[in-house]
Amino acid sequence: MWLPFLGLILGLALGLLTDIQIPSMYENYLSIAVLAALDTLFGGIRAYLQQVYDDKVFISGFFFNIVLAAGLAFLGVHLGVDLYLAAIFAFGVRLFQNIAVIRRILIQKWDERHIKKSEKTIE
Amino acid sequence: MNMKVVTRITIVSFIVGLMIAVQYNTVKEPSARDTRDSWELRQALSEEKKRHSQLLSEILALNDVVNKYKNNETENLGDVLSNTVEHLKQEAGLLEVTGPGITITISPAMELVQSGFSIKPISPELLYRLVNEINRFEGQFIEIDGQRVVHTTAIRDINGSTTVNGIPISKSDVEIKVITDSYEKAEKLNNYLNISSFRDAFYIDNLNLVIGKPEKSVTIAEYDRALENEFLIEQKGE
Repeated sequence: MWLPFLGLILGLALGLLTDIQIPSMYENYLSIAVLAALDTLFGGIRAYLQQVYDDKVFISGFFFNIVLAAGLAFLGVHLGVDLYLAAIFAFGVRLFQNIAVIRRILIQKWDERHIKKSEKTIE
Repeated sequence: MNMKVVTRITIVSFIVGLMIAVQYNTVKEPSARDTRDSWELRQALSEEKKRHSQLLSEILALNDVVNKYKNNETENLGDVLSNTVEHLKQEAGLLEVTGPGITITISPAMELVQSGFSIKPISPELLYRLVNEINRFEGQFIEIDGQRVVHTTAIRDINGSTTVNGIPISKSDVEIKVITDSYEKAEKLNNYLNISSFRDAFYIDNLNLVIGKPEKSVTIAEYDRALENEFLIEQKGE
């Protein structure tokens, strides 16, 4: 259960310690890519909790979303339209939705466990 | 939890963490680097040295006063106090002062007047720029057309005439007296004003700025009205 967090912390530590930097002109792309990745991550967790998790969908979604978001931002820069806003909006909304669903499922599970416990004590 | 799923999610969260860290590294402001070379450092140091010596001399002067207070505790404390008051009054501009300084005169440029140019009153902006520059070059006391410049003095345009301390100054012939710490400083001020662009600036308004030679003794009259304080209140009683 804690393995994903460990992975996240490991990634953060590795990134911060090695002090890798990208040229500032690619900053926008990376921020959008981060958003896309987060969206996919939470989407995956939600799917797992809802028991509809599919490996292929998860992995392909991860890379495809990142590339699409960065591509949209790239296109936006070259067309002079802030297209990356579309990506930010879409991913932002989905992120909130996914987190809300995850929260509901977790609360539901917790409640169920609680009820089971109380039933046991009554018996 | 299914181990395979956990591994996948762990890998993805590792990548996400890495991306966030890289983004953070890129976005965070690089700490400002000191790019001054040794010459600039030297100049900065000399500025600070100047400040240092100024502060030291102030401390010396104040210590002097403290010593006087201590020594004369029984005898003439009153004298010392009145000396301090005198000194403060002089600084505030309530006393007549005499000392080395220069006299600057502003008069209409005759050649321009003769060829038909009209004379404008001296613009307040030019005047306060001049006063600021004089202050910058350590002019201690300033008087403009008989008006002592104190800390509350306003140089401004009132109904089309330039005023100092609320009193209109002469339209064209104005004498500015400046007193400095020492004769050397008066010389310095004279040199600086001679090379500054003030003469040209006044000439645009058809006025001649004549910067007098440094003199050993210039007298400036006291500020002839009561100083008004907006925030300080006099304490009555002991």
